[in-house]
Amino acid sequence: MDNKQLWDSVLGEVQITISRANFSTWFKNTRIIKLEGGIVYIGIPNEFVKEWLFSKYDKFILKTLRDISESVRGVEYVIVTPEMKEKADTTPPSRNQQPYTQELPLSDLYINKDDNLNPRYTFDNLVIGSFNELAYAASQAVVKHPGNTYNPLFIHGGTGLGKTHITQAIGNSIKAEKTGKKVYYITSEKFAMDYINSVQNKGINEFKEKYRKYDVLIMDDIQFLSGKEKTQEELFHVFNVLYENNKQIIFSSDRHPNHIPGLEDRLKSRFGAGMIVDISTPEYESRMAIIQRKIQSNNFSLSAESIAFIAESLECSIRELEGIVNSIICQARLKNRDLAQNEIKLLIKNNIVPKKTASIKDVIRIVSDFYHIEESSIYEKTRRKEIVKPRQIAMYLLREDFSVSYPTIGEKFGGRDHTTVIHSCDKIKDSIKKDEVLVEELLQIRALL
Amino acid sequence: MKLDCSKDALKNAVGLAERMVGKNLSLPVLGGILFSAQNNKLLLRSTNLDVGIEIEIPAKITEEGTVVIQGNLLSGILSSVYDPKVIMETSSENLIIQASNTRSVLKCLPHEDFPTLPVVSGSEAFSMPIDKFVDGVKSVWYSASVSDMKPEISSVCIYSEGENIVFVATDSFRLAEKKIFLKEKTSFKHVLIPQKNIIEILKVLDGVSGNLNINVNKNQISFSLADKDIYITSRIVDGIFPDYRQIIPKEYVTEATILKQDMMNALKVTNLFSDKFNRVDVSVDIARKSFVIESKNSTTGENKTTVDASLTGKNISCGFNQKYIIDCFQSLKQDSIIFRFSGEGRPLVIRGVSDQSFMYLIMPLTT
Repeated sequence: MDNKQLWDSVLGEVQITISRANFSTWFKNTRIIKLEGGIVYIGIPNEFVKEWLFSKYDKFILKTLRDISESVRGVEYVIVTPEMKEKADTTPPSRNQQPYTQELPLSDLYINKDDNLNPRYTFDNLVIGSFNELAYAASQAVVKHPGNTYNPLFIHGGTGLGKTHITQAIGNSIKAEKTGKKVYYITSEKFAMDYINSVQNKGINEFKEKYRKYDVLIMDDIQFLSGKEKTQEELFHVFNVLYENNKQIIFSSDRHPNHIPGLEDRLKSRFGAGMIVDISTPEYESRMAIIQRKIQSNNFSLSAESIAFIAESLECSIRELEGIVNSIICQARLKNRDLAQNEIKLLIKNNIVPKKTASIKDVIRIVSDFYHIEESSIYEKTRRKEIVKPRQIAMYLLREDFSVSYPTIGEKFGGRDHTTVIHSCDKIKDSIKKDEVLVEELLQIRALL
Repeated sequence: MKLDCSKDALKNAVGLAERMVGKNLSLPVLGGILFSAQNNKLLLRSTNLDVGIEIEIPAKITEEGTVVIQGNLLSGILSSVYDPKVIMETSSENLIIQASNTRSVLKCLPHEDFPTLPVVSGSEAFSMPIDKFVDGVKSVWYSASVSDMKPEISSVCIYSEGENIVFVATDSFRLAEKKIFLKEKTSFKHVLIPQKNIIEILKVLDGVSGNLNINVNKNQISFSLADKDIYITSRIVDGIFPDYRQIIPKEYVTEATILKQDMMNALKVTNLFSDKFNRVDVSVDIARKSFVIESKNSTTGENKTTVDASLTGKNISCGFNQKYIIDCFQSLKQDSIIFRFSGEGRPLVIRGVSDQSFMYLIMPLTT
């Protein structure tokens, strides 16, 4: 019988002889620390308990202990502070000594207050592939001749594809050249806040001064300015002053400036004056490179098959990719062995955002709502133009986004032939290339889904 | 139990014992005060199992006995008694308190469950005048942290240093240290008394004269007043007080001597405009001989007040939490006080002029 069992049986005896209030006041947090030479050492939380147990329950405890184990000769009370007890309890059995995670060095989190740049983002740790090589080339040109070649530089692309990385890397590179150029990075949301504060505190002149003194101004996520007319106007003025003085301006956004709703035309036209480049999702080879880079920077290794497998099964943004690689590394460290492929598969399944799950009916409803037509008219065999277009769009979306088979789509749309559906999808695909309005509409419908 | 005793002595004792009554404990009897009549003494005892007190008052006892009464009842009854004497008597489960104009019957709690207080015997013992102990604690206790997160700084630390006894408290934003000079040498290690307990102990000891005997062991401290028949015991924190001497600046760049009253008046005004960090900016301009304090609040406005001061050193400007500055005035007995700046972003030390016993340190607010 070990100490814990021994004490538990004593507590059991005590519990039935005294009231619950008394029991929980005096016997909670007690335990046997050790048994030595017939003396039982009981750990208790404080001196008050010691005093009371000693004067009131000493004999009873001793008697109960002796009933269970005859070798017991005496009882001693020792005060153990709760912290110590916890430590003793939580000390893990000595396992592998390898730390689970490496602490991030502090410099990683260090953001320079003067320019808001995070030194973590450099061109050195940027993976360049066909998906972002244009953006990379343009930004290199900007670094070499800031303010001259591509001004303004406008980088757009979906979320988590490295816009912030590239823009910040430009800032860091210009700073590293030590030409004394003043670089400043700001998100458009902060810019707007700054503007609002300056209006509140009557510091509008200081605000104007502040932004006009920079040689390189980087503004991230410009799409958040949509609808903020006064802030846009202020940005317009800042832009003009900087532009006239040949100062470099860099913008980033999640879509092409022409497709940002609520952005004033004069700003749109100015964004278009320089260079607009886009970053798309990385293709297979780039994904491999990104995974490799991520693993290396974590001092971790993964078999070539596993890397290929991850790159193959994930077609997503770099941020998601990094997230998955991180969780794989973490799991592997925790288990202290390499992960099998099915384990990686499971991780990927658990980590990626679940695919959109809208029913065919939902898609049709949303599309018909969007174009203000009766939902039922989509199913009809009419060839009216205002009906045909939504019908084709709905088919296209079902095919592209939800991978519904052509025959199924045809059936759902009132028993149409699968060739009709193929024709519809091809038609929309063709139109996308020419029709900017259609692209914008598709974007908005997708957002609704 | 049957006895009669002086109303004032009883009321006073009940007032003290009431403070240490346990609240929200699983054992209901701890919410009461124990009265035990023996050998012509009435003993009152109360405890919340963190701190406890025993007080003995003289009484004429006709029948010995013990009862436990709900803590807050008694002082209410006694405040409406105008006689110099009260009679206490038990009848079955009740205690009857009788005076000429009033008679109350109180339900008793089971006194068998009422714990005794631990006696701190042994290792370290010393004694000092009560007023000096009270002075020491009063000078520093407000600086202790109120949160329970770090028990070692939510307590007042006491240790001996030659012929001095040093009292220190800090919440890591400011620190107060008071040295009390005793004639004889004492030696004992750091004792950390929880801030919650020291406030109660202070209330018992404040205004009492005489000598205080202090006993300390590893887990418990006790205070006994020999002639007053009061015994207090408290848990002490088993931890290590931060080595605060390292943060006390050795050199100063700027020194300002100011009248305490002037500073208090100035802070009263700046306090009106304090922001959520209670920020006040202190700036010293040696050339212009100005000591300016300034506070700003984006909703109410701002204030700038110049305080007369004699200045030496360099120009400096620093931000501090003004509440922390105001706090230390209660411990500064001198009319003039010294502000010692050790540089921007470094702590400020406040002392009384020609007073080496008290030191107060405030960490600056970052911009």
